[in-house]
Amino acid sequence: MMPATIFIVDDSATILMSMEAILTKAGFAVSKAASGEEAMSKLQGGLKPSLIITDIHMGAMNGIELIKKVRVMPGFQFIPILVVTTESQQSKRDEARAAKATGWLVKPVQPDDLVRVVKQILPNG
Amino acid sequence: MMDTDKSAILPLVLATVLAALSSAAAGWLAGAIGAALAAPFGVLLGYAIGRHWGAFPSRVRLSLFRVADELAQYRAFTRLMRDQGDRITETTDDAAQIIASGLHEIDAKVASLIERIDTEMPGPDGEVFKHMAVSIGDPIVGMFGKLQFQDVTRQQLAFLARLSHVLDEHMVALAQQMGDRRALDRVGQFKQMFDQALNDCVMSSQRDDHHAASGTDFKEAVGPKVELF
Repeated sequence: MMPATIFIVDDSATILMSMEAILTKAGFAVSKAASGEEAMSKLQGGLKPSLIITDIHMGAMNGIELIKKVRVMPGFQFIPILVVTTESQQSKRDEARAAKATGWLVKPVQPDDLVRVVKQILPNG
Repeated sequence: MMDTDKSAILPLVLATVLAALSSAAAGWLAGAIGAALAAPFGVLLGYAIGRHWGAFPSRVRLSLFRVADELAQYRAFTRLMRDQGDRITETTDDAAQIIASGLHEIDAKVASLIERIDTEMPGPDGEVFKHMAVSIGDPIVGMFGKLQFQDVTRQQLAFLARLSHVLDEHMVALAQQMGDRRALDRVGQFKQMFDQALNDCVMSSQRDDHHAASGTDFKEAVGPKVELF
């Protein structure tokens, strides 16, 4: 069985490497983008991940905007999207929820927590 | 006639002195922090002093000049602090990526070693070596997790840079008010600035620090670190 593909979007190279390693070791396939624009380009180019994990604070297109754009793409309405951010304010969580994010993780994320949540969302991944 | 001449000449003399002082200050700043940074200060000083410079006696104007000079230097310091922050971000980013690459390599070699032990060393000795190899690889995932410190640090420094821009804007506003008698009793809105800084705080630790700086021991309720909607 092919492993589920998780698409990580973050402008921090360190975060991309860190999460890729954690998720790959947990048995998932990983695809990465360093900006909202690159993420949109990959998704429009045919990438169909099982789960998207995105940061909020990124250059021109932030994570909330990315979620909104992804949600209106055909076939992406129900793909789970997790937000991973340093922010902890309730208002920001509400904003992500309103944009139809699936969940919220505060950085730094413990590897066990990350894998547990991903497995919860993708039980067959 | 004599009085009229004096009143006509004095502003010119003062203007010349102040221009020279502005130029000297900008020159000193150019030596201390570089011409690119110092150049705007001359403009700022000239603007701050020249705007209403005829309204006060020369002694007051010179005091205003000194205050404007100090304010301009604060901007140089905040700029230096931002530059230092950028440097820290860059250095830690490079270091974190090198560590991450190293960890990837160790992880791959440990996996390869375990595979070879499985195929080439059957028996109790192989089990011992395999156990050792697994124990070498075990902490790697946790280390990858810890590398996220770099991104957290980067965002903390970005927050400090935003705060320093708020201070810069306030300093410029203060400098522009100098010489305006109507401005003497309204020197700025520190409370608004402080409240704005709280709005810009995104991490719970930053918000706690902000409340502590306000003299309160208030800790806001924060949501769980992991939450599915």
